[in-house]
Order: sequence, then C-alpha cells, then structure tokens
Amino acid sequence: MQWYDTGVLGMLFVVLLVLFILYNIYRTEHKKKDLYIRRIPGLNAIDDAIGRSTEMGRPVLMVPGIGTLNAISVQALSIFAHITKAAAQFGTPIRICLADAAVYTVAQEIIRDVYQQQGLIDRYDTDSVRFLTDRQFAFAAGVSGLILREKVAAAFFLGEWYAESLIFAETANSIGAIQIAGSTEKSQTPFFIAACDYVLIGDEFYAASAYLTRQPILVGSLVGQDWAKIAMAACVLFGFLVNSAQRLPETDMHRVPLKDGAPEVWSQLSDDQKADLETAETWAKGEKANATEDTGLYRLFNPFYSKEDLTVKRAKKPSGAAGATE
Amino acid sequence: MNLLAQAAPNYNFWAAEPGSARLWIMILVSLLVGAGFYAALFYAPSRIRKPIVWTFTFAGGLFYVLYWAWPQPVSYHPDDIPNGFVENVGFWLHDALPRVADISNILTAFLLGLGIYSLLRIHTGRIVKRQADRGFSVVFFIAMLAILVFGYWDWSLREADTKGLLQDSANWQLANFGQNLLFDGFLQQMDSAMFSMIAFFILSAAYRAFRIRSVESTVLMASALILMVSLLTLVVTNWDSGVANLAKNVFHDSKADPATFQAGYLNWMKLSSIANWLKAYMQVPALRAVDWGIGLGALAMGLRLWLGLEKGGVSV
Repeated sequence: MQWYDTGVLGMLFVVLLVLFILYNIYRTEHKKKDLYIRRIPGLNAIDDAIGRSTEMGRPVLMVPGIGTLNAISVQALSIFAHITKAAAQFGTPIRICLADAAVYTVAQEIIRDVYQQQGLIDRYDTDSVRFLTDRQFAFAAGVSGLILREKVAAAFFLGEWYAESLIFAETANSIGAIQIAGSTEKSQTPFFIAACDYVLIGDEFYAASAYLTRQPILVGSLVGQDWAKIAMAACVLFGFLVNSAQRLPETDMHRVPLKDGAPEVWSQLSDDQKADLETAETWAKGEKANATEDTGLYRLFNPFYSKEDLTVKRAKKPSGAAGATE
Repeated sequence: MNLLAQAAPNYNFWAAEPGSARLWIMILVSLLVGAGFYAALFYAPSRIRKPIVWTFTFAGGLFYVLYWAWPQPVSYHPDDIPNGFVENVGFWLHDALPRVADISNILTAFLLGLGIYSLLRIHTGRIVKRQADRGFSVVFFIAMLAILVFGYWDWSLREADTKGLLQDSANWQLANFGQNLLFDGFLQQMDSAMFSMIAFFILSAAYRAFRIRSVESTVLMASALILMVSLLTLVVTNWDSGVANLAKNVFHDSKADPATFQAGYLNWMKLSSIANWLKAYMQVPALRAVDWGIGLGALAMGLRLWLGLEKGGVSV
C-alpha cells in the first residue's frame, strides 16, 4: 500500500478548504443575495453597550489582547473599527489600549480612517489609541488603572488573550462596565465566560466582521468556512469507521521508530540527519493487533520513510565556500 | 536564486564584516533608502499606496506559503549542492527564511520607536496641561529614564567584561546593583504581584459563575465540583476504595479488590473514572470543535489578508 503513503494528502485537504473559501467569496460577490447568519448575542449587544456609554458620558474601552500584528489582531481591529464608527456618530469617547507597537501603528491608522470616513475627524482624539507596554502584566496593570480612573462604561476585550484576561475582566466588572469579550485562546474563554456579560466563543470572533458589516466578501468567506467544517466533520466520520475497521485484524508487520528498527542505518547518520529523521520509522516483524500507527489511515497523513529515502547523495561545495554567515 | 539566501562566500553583497566601514555605509544607505521609501509611501495617493502595500503583502505571504508547501530538503547541510530544481528551490527557501524573518524584526524595531513616541507624547501632554493623575506620568518618566540608563550601563559593562568577573556579585559596580534592583528587585516582583492577583479574581469570578440559576449553570457547577474534588488525593482514594468495597461486599464481584482499586463492572462509579470521562468525552471534543472553528477562521482571515480582500474595517 506504499502508493498512497505520503504527506501530500494533508496538504491537498488544506488546499480543498482554501478552494471552498475562495469559491464562496466569488459566489457571494456575484450572487448579490443576502445569506443567513445566525444570531450572535454578543455582537447584538455592541450597540447597547455603546448606547450605555453615551448615556453615562463615559469612554468605551477596546483592547485587542497582547498578541503581535497577525490575523487575530487585524480581526479585532476590524471589529473595533465598527464600534468606533458608532461611537464617533454619538460623540462617545473611546480608548484603545495596545501592547504591541506594530498593532498600535495599524490601529491608529484604522481609527483615524473611520473618523475621516464619517466626516467627523474633528472628534478624533490622537490620545484615544495608546501603546502602553509590551510587558504582559505591566500592560494588565496599566489597563486596569485606566479602567478604574476613567470609569469606562463598556469594555471590549477581543483578540489574543493569555493569563491577564481575568485581571481585565474582573477589574471592569468591579466598576459595573458592560463587557463583551472573545479570545482565540480556548484556555481563556472560560475565564471570560465567568466574568463577562457576553462572550464570543471560538470562530464567532472571526465571524464578527461578516455579521456586523455584511460585506459579500466576508459573508462568502464565512459560508466557505462552514463548507470546510462540513468537510472536516465528514472526514472525522469516515476516519472513525475506517480506523475502527482497520484496527480489527492482526498483522505480522508493524511500524517502529527507525532508531530501533534499523540501528545499523541509524548509527551511520550524522547528528543533523538524526535530528531531521527523529520521527522516521521502519517496519518490524511481530504478531500483534494493528496499532493506530500501523493503519493505512494513519499513514495517509504521516509520511513513511524507507531506508533508501534516508540516504540523499549530494555533491559538496568547494572547500571554504560554506555559506553560513551565522 | 541567491537573493536573500546565505550564499558563499561568508560576506557577500548582503552581509558585510562586523565593524567594517562597508557595513556602516550599508547601514547608512539602507536607512536613507528606507526613509525615502517611507516618505514616498506617505505622500503617495491612496490609489497608488494600496497596490504597493498589497504587492509586499502578497510577496511576503507567497514566501511563507511556498516554504510550507514546497518539499523540504531531507538531511539538509549548508555545504551540500542541491540535486535538481525541486531541491534547489527547497534549499533556497530554507536559506532565505532567516533573512525574511530579519526584515520582519527590523520593521518591528522601527514600530517600537513609534510606540515609545506615543507614550512620551501622552505623558508629556498630561504633565504640561497639569491634568489629574499627572503624578503617574512623572513616575513613568523617572522609571523609564532610570531603567534605560542603568540597563544600558550594565549591558556595556558586561560586554566589556571578557573575563566573566561580573558573574560574581562581589565584583559588581553601581550600574550592576542598580540594574539588579530595578529589573529583579522591582519589575519582576511587580509582575509577580499582578500575576498572583489572578488567584483572587478566579475566586470572585467563579463565585458569580457557579451559582445555581439555570439548568446549564447547575450542570456547570456539578461538573466543576467533580473535577475539583477529583484532584484531592485523599477524597479520591477513599471514594474509589469505597466503590471497590461496595462491589465486593454488596454485589459479590470477585474482581473487586479495594487494595488495587479494581471495582469490576462498577468501575464507572469511581470518582477518577467520572472525572476522566468528563474530560475525555465532554471537554476534549468541545475544545477540538472550538479549535476547528478558530483554525478555519484564521485560515480564511489569512487568505483574505494575503489576497488583499480584507479591508481591515476601513470600509465599514
């Protein structure tokens, strides 16, 4: 069964998921038809939270976590742009606190653009977007101080959060601020659920911009994600059935780590090669029930190296030409 | 194919010898080119700026996509000459990765400067305008200056200490004591103090969350209680042993043995079994489902950013 024993299938599956997303973006853009997105309470509460801040005359606080400039931060800033748009219209002050200088620069641009697009650039306060520090607990202390001093009426904690999440949430709770939170770190979600009024769980965080703006590209991307989820669920079901069937029979060959199965080959490898091939395996004889790693299904996603694959003969560069500048 | 790669000889067009005049000229030229490029981008109209930014984003994304998708060279060694086209590209991607990461680090360093400028502007404004809580801004400036001076002073002394004398605190000077006091004495301790506060916050949050208000909160509280109690060795030992006794004495289960906690068909009643079942069959599948969603969301977001489809909230 060596013919399908390759890691390419895993990659092809990811390409399939990418195609699902791209196809649905294309489809939604050209169909011009509203697609249904289920109600997300946390996102419906955004307007209430801003309204409350406006009535109380207190600022709206937004924090995108302590992550660097990545897809999570950009998504958080995308949601904050929507919140800022509403806050700008009502003249509600905003505070965006950041722990990463790169995110700070991007946030400043986005927030200024929002005020500009609304024709309210005179209401834009350059101090509303603040870089505090890139040190985790110093940032937690800084934001907690700001929450208590400025008595924020609404707090949005959306992004990449770690141990500091509960410090923020409980401090904001102590002054009675309405809190909407969401983290891509699943270990922090329970803390937010315990302490905040509304929580975006898992991919609801990524669905937020599509939900709020209904832009065809974003909605199409969301539909593509749903297709991808269905494909993954189908794979799990298929895998469960096939793996169960493949584990039943006994075999006289099973896979073992290369270092145990072919010690004579292993001993001839350099340290670099050993590091590269630490997970390489070979076959060994022995009657026993099929282990998970012996099944064809497992091998679909875990490439098998034969002894021949491990020996790559290459010419050497001329003496003294070793390229490393390190 | 050697653009960005660590090609032979050691010091090439992209890398000059440390301390050499050529290196300083390269730094100066790079700074001028960078500043010129930044100014051009700053003053360029939006319709021109966007395609330029997208081109760089796409090129950067394409590199990492290729790095992930292209077959990686098996048992790579910098002295080897790659065999054929596939290995050639694989070697190039492998060699170029640190250089691409360097570009990202340099950009981050510049952006940190902008972050510090933001801090200075806000705190200076607060002091000049005599706003409330301006005392905190004064403390900020004193702390920042002190840590900057002592940190750099200590670093330069340690750089000059080729014999490693400063490893022993008996040889320390004012700079070393100052740095130690500010970083280890103050900063680390204050970090730890903030971290330790989480324990109290967990207590207050859990108190609110675990009150019996609905069916869901009751199930949540019961599961939490079982998992918490299952971490107490004394309770688990007594409970499991009690189950084994029950199996042996009441149900006459011959397999039951209180000494080794084997309770036969009543095994599921053991506290550790219930806790493990909750973790393995309730918690793990739910977390994996959340992971799926997050992973797919990140994939879609990354794709939109890479292909320039994401407007980053600007057009909301």
